[in-house]
Amino acid sequence: METMTNAQRATRVLATLLAAFALLGGTLWGSDDHFPFGPFRMYAGVNPPNEPAPDPRLEGTDAHGATVVLGERETGMRRAEIEGQQDLFVADPARLREVVEAYRRRNPDAAALVEVRYVMRWHEIRTSRPTGQWRDEVLARWQVVQP
Amino acid sequence: MKWLFAPVPRGRVALLRTAVYLFTALDLVVFTPWVRAHGSVDGELYQPLWIARVLHLPVPDSLLVQSIFWVLLAAALAAATGRAPRLLGWTVFLLYFEWMIIAMSYGKVDHDRFAFLVALAVLPTCGAARWRDREPSERAGWALRMVQLAVVATYFLAAWAKLRYGGPEWMTGSVLARAILRRGTELAHLIAPVPYLLILAQIGIMAFELTSPLVFVLPEKWRTRVVAFFYSFHLVTFSMITISFLPHLVALLAFLPLERAADRVSERVRRVRQRRAVPAG
Repeated sequence: METMTNAQRATRVLATLLAAFALLGGTLWGSDDHFPFGPFRMYAGVNPPNEPAPDPRLEGTDAHGATVVLGERETGMRRAEIEGQQDLFVADPARLREVVEAYRRRNPDAAALVEVRYVMRWHEIRTSRPTGQWRDEVLARWQVVQP
Repeated sequence: MKWLFAPVPRGRVALLRTAVYLFTALDLVVFTPWVRAHGSVDGELYQPLWIARVLHLPVPDSLLVQSIFWVLLAAALAAATGRAPRLLGWTVFLLYFEWMIIAMSYGKVDHDRFAFLVALAVLPTCGAARWRDREPSERAGWALRMVQLAVVATYFLAAWAKLRYGGPEWMTGSVLARAILRRGTELAHLIAPVPYLLILAQIGIMAFELTSPLVFVLPEKWRTRVVAFFYSFHLVTFSMITISFLPHLVALLAFLPLERAADRVSERVRRVRQRRAVPAG
């Protein structure tokens, strides 16, 4: 059998304790910022039984007047990431310019966008169950300044 | 203390190592391709994590992201062969950790790979190990125990986080309905309207996560069954809201006597070959 020296054991015990404290501290007082030791708060939010579910998306209008979906494939940003920056987009809609840039880089041949919108679809929920009803709300809108 | 270092056959850690490094390569190319896309996202959208700020990690640009991608891919595939376990192992750990920091620095942090990161961090400490090596090793034992603890911590502390952020009302809230509306499958949309079903599921999830540490006190036969239950839980989650927790599922392998499964497979292969070698009639 392969055994370890006391020093090897001590190092490992120390590493175990340090990681355990970091993880416990992160769970008790930390935030996502402390990855990988932050709290595992995926789907841990407070959502009362009758609160509508937000379903955000980015969309644009191109030079031909067509609506363009600006999803992960089009912009390289995941929906949850877009959502994570929602407050910034709402406070300063000009930040949607960055989305246009990302779209241009990834789709150089596509028709240029003239407008970008951050749209929230609110799905209705009653007694913890979806009702199938929804309404759309435009939270931020930015007219593209053509270069 | 003995429990922390309970020896396991080196072959087990060798098999886990192969699975973990092969998954690292697959993860780069197939499962989380969006990380690579961050190279083409404007630097203004970069919100560096605490660790990135402390270590002064550079703002990811196309060159950095592409370089990490290719070096990490090559290192992971090389590490999967079991050669140079320390050098390649630490290289993969450091690069994958930086890859994850880049992944999580754009406004969204995932919690599906803590145990996988722990596996990458402890595998290099096991030293050389071959698939067929059955010698018990304390170093391998500690490494596997760490991954197991990380797996269970992910469940238990996820429940803790639910209580911290949502409170006990989390169980009677609408978190599953919300998840289904945002990313549910047809199957999920079909069963979501059943009265009280989602509330029961929420209570079930909380109960399972809070009791998950019991897996450590169960006899081996039951432990394997509980691990099978863990896997089935993720299968159901995936079939409902398409959240796979794949890296976590790879880390879950640390609970299983992998070398025995490998023995069974090689025994079967040997028998089939023998049968083919003997001419019929």
